[in-house]
Amino acid sequence: MISIKNLHARIGDTEILRGLDLEIGVGQVHAIMGPNGAGKSTLSYVLAGREGYEVTQGDILLNGESILDLSPEDRAAKGIFLAFQYPVEIPGVQMTTFLKTAVNAVRTARGEPELNAIDFLKMMKSKAQDLGMSDDMMKRAVNAGFSGGEKKRSEILQMAMLSPSFAVLDETDSGLDIDALKIVADGVNKLRAAHRSFLVITHYQRLLDYIKPDVVHVLAKGRIVKTGGADLAQTLEKSGYADILKDVA
Amino acid sequence: MISLTDIPLVSSERWKFTDLHKALKKKTLTPTVMGWGRGVVPLLTHAPGHERYGDTSLWDLNTAQTQDIKFISGSTDVNIHAVDGQMLTPRIIIHVKTGDTLTVNEFLGGTGSYWKNMVVQVHVEPGGHLYHHRIITESAEGIATIFTHVVLERDARYDAACVMMGAGMVRNQIHAEIKGSGAQCALNGVHLLAGEQHGDTTITIEHQAPHTQSHQTYKNVLTGSSRGVFQGKVHVHQAAQKTDGYQLSNTLMLSPYAEMDTKPELEIYADDVKCSHGATTGKLDENALFYLRARGIPLAQARSLLTMAFVSEVIDRIPAEDMRQSLLSDISQWLSDHV
Ligand SMILES: Nc1ncnc2c1ncn2[C@@H]1O[C@H](COP(=O)(O)OP(=O)(O)O)[C@@H](O)[C@H]1O
Ligand SMILES: [Mg+2]
Repeated sequence: MISIKNLHARIGDTEILRGLDLEIGVGQVHAIMGPNGAGKSTLSYVLAGREGYEVTQGDILLNGESILDLSPEDRAAKGIFLAFQYPVEIPGVQMTTFLKTAVNAVRTARGEPELNAIDFLKMMKSKAQDLGMSDDMMKRAVNAGFSGGEKKRSEILQMAMLSPSFAVLDETDSGLDIDALKIVADGVNKLRAAHRSFLVITHYQRLLDYIKPDVVHVLAKGRIVKTGGADLAQTLEKSGYADILKDVA
Repeated sequence: MISLTDIPLVSSERWKFTDLHKALKKKTLTPTVMGWGRGVVPLLTHAPGHERYGDTSLWDLNTAQTQDIKFISGSTDVNIHAVDGQMLTPRIIIHVKTGDTLTVNEFLGGTGSYWKNMVVQVHVEPGGHLYHHRIITESAEGIATIFTHVVLERDARYDAACVMMGAGMVRNQIHAEIKGSGAQCALNGVHLLAGEQHGDTTITIEHQAPHTQSHQTYKNVLTGSSRGVFQGKVHVHQAAQKTDGYQLSNTLMLSPYAEMDTKPELEIYADDVKCSHGATTGKLDENALFYLRARGIPLAQARSLLTMAFVSEVIDRIPAEDMRQSLLSDISQWLSDHV
């Protein structure tokens, strides 16, 4: 599905990713854990195609094809989705307008017909309801004045609406209490499917109790330094990152 | 041919950013009568307040030349369409009687090279309310100089919205005298400028009575090598205690070649007032752009969406649903053509 090969990326003059390798198969859920500043968000932005994040070496292949030359919108059309660690507030653009524009842009790019207003609203309402988001929130500006938890739910809603084939969740658990965490995890689990892969980035093991990963990686200093099964997350939770980092040059 | 001797020069303070002289010099124009008729209303010869603000020459030219006078005392639309080679001199007098509410929509457009030198006089009697919408779609070579003078009596309200979507050179000058206590004056504007367009809004608001309000909100979107000017003066007279005056000009620069000149001024002679002004100039928010694109929205559409959000605050204030909808669709069109 997605294969990242010897990826080096920098922001300005600072190299952040330094030879990162990662293979995620179709239908798999991989988790990336790592200390603050390891480069987790940088990886997520590089995957989504953010300007200013320059890939200097290596490649990212989606179903065998490099995506490095694609714009963020083209990557979204190809099925890549990033749930942001810090979702952006956009005053003046209504949630509903935003979602409808996004859904129809992606459908058009994928060669599917646009949704009409009624079908779109039906779909939005049912998915919003699953995530405990009110109609009133859909009338507000994008993420504007949303609490931390509401912003994360908004990300999951967008993911559900865009039905990606590869979704990256960047610390979607941060700032959530246990109830909100369960709602968000349910939202993700509902989308787990044989044709869809996930990369779940988290600092804590807690989220992985609810979204069970197939593979867990540790990212430190811009590289994957350890890979294991779901139990690796538990080990890390007990022993912290210090032991692993000791061995990393 | 028209004589340029009385045209204000850039050396005069309020014309610093708009060189009308230069713009007119290249034109060969013929004074043209539209056929409104002169009516029987006596005209004010000089611009009110000209002793203080020294700005009456275009008004005087209008007074001397006009054969087209329209007297308005009920809701109506006014269309002024100029064609190549014309110089039009329309004079509009809007009178809102005690307690009346009126909506006047002006549509100003044209084709080719021309000059409209327009004067609009507004008088709102006690408790009256005027919604005054001005939609400007002048041609790229058209010049429009518009001088609007407003008098508000006790508890009168004036809600103006000007949407500029086309211009060669436009000077939209407003002088509001708030004479009666409790009166409110709201001036809103959206200026969308592209190419070589020049859009100048110059405002003077005089608070002459206590407990009066004025609110100015202007949103400028500049592309190409266009130039925007916003000069807003709020003059609070000594008698005008408890004045609430607010002025905001936000500019979105969508091109490195565009230029915006903003000059807010407060002149306050009363001590118990609440006045503020602010001006910002910026670009589209990169974070927001990336967020939209990451959701599959193509760059041009993302820029349009954010620009629409920027101007919609002003459009949303227009109470008439049909006017609002038609403006939103015109603005979307403009955005898809220019952003
Ligand atoms: N815009 C930026 N400019 C320069 N350095 C940055 C920028 N964003 C992040 N960094 C640096 O890149 C490193 C990795 O950051 P990030 O990817 O956010 O880490 P994580 O998400 O793992 O906490 C950090 O050292 C951080 O300071
Ligand atoms: Mg991060």
